[in-house]
Amino acid sequence: MPKIEGDPLGPGFERRLRGELDRIQPSFPAPRYLSPTRRPALAWRPAPVALGLALIGIAAISAYAATGSPNPAVWTERVVTISHSSPTPPATSATPEVRKAAPPAAPARAPGHEASPAASNRPEPSESPEPIRSPEPGESSGT
Amino acid sequence: MPVIPDVPARGELTAETYQPGSAEDFDRLYRTAYPRVYRTLTAILADPGAAEDCAQDAFVQAFGAWKRWRPDAPAEAWVHRIAVNRAISYRRTARLRGVGEILRRLGRPVHSTDPSDEATRPDLLSALRSIPPKLAAAIVLRHYHGYNNREIAAAFGVSERTVGTRLRQAGERLRAVLEPSFPLGAPPAFPSDTRESYAED
Repeated sequence: MPKIEGDPLGPGFERRLRGELDRIQPSFPAPRYLSPTRRPALAWRPAPVALGLALIGIAAISAYAATGSPNPAVWTERVVTISHSSPTPPATSATPEVRKAAPPAAPARAPGHEASPAASNRPEPSESPEPIRSPEPGESSGT
Repeated sequence: MPVIPDVPARGELTAETYQPGSAEDFDRLYRTAYPRVYRTLTAILADPGAAEDCAQDAFVQAFGAWKRWRPDAPAEAWVHRIAVNRAISYRRTARLRGVGEILRRLGRPVHSTDPSDEATRPDLLSALRSIPPKLAAAIVLRHYHGYNNREIAAAFGVSERTVGTRLRQAGERLRAVLEPSFPLGAPPAFPSDTRESYAED
């Protein structure tokens, strides 16, 4: 490849180029690199946060679809209910019946009927349809 | 808003020294180099807004890599490289929108080619924008900013021979576009410029 001596464009080209470009004045905007949101070094940092927010959003939408309620408290209660009502193995099949037979909790009682400690010792009423009858004096015990 | 000083005279470029990673030095680099980088991009891109965007993005990218910058070449030349790459990407995507541009230009009246008509004389900047951006960048860095072939090669990560080739090709293309309308001046028989010639071995 032959060497080219000098400048093929000539000195007039430089003068004209300088004249054209010196007339151009930038608008001096505020440096974009000083803006923290524009720095390329931080370009990937919001990504994990955005990913986390996206996952939370997906979970929220799924919970809303499952419960029908936008209240997060309902979602939590639903999760607890599902975890407690999970199917049990056959060996412990009696457990649900015992649970069913268990007396209901206290909230059903009226406010004016606070159970006294002595009363709580009383035997709970039986669910049997026939009342338990203490034997009358003189009757046989029926053995 | 930082105060942008006047463009330093050519030959003073290498007097600027910067410490990699220094925020104050980068601010100084921005104040010194931004107008020059902007002008280089204006010579490559027709849209001043695009030139400003690419210049700003170049400084953002340079700031992110400022700690890793090595003073093998002038810092301003390094920023020029980033900016020129940005401009190349911009022009590449702009070509994809070229269909719309072609449609817009359809039906425009053809300008008079009378070389004596000052208004219709081919614009030098338009001629620069018509050649590949790497060639235009080499021309601007050499003939406007005063970089030598070694500095341009170090800034762009190419050999000095490649720089010489680009300068020669750019010169030939520009001469073909511009000379029919106004003479650029006959090349001197012996170079009076102390800088090296275009083609370097």
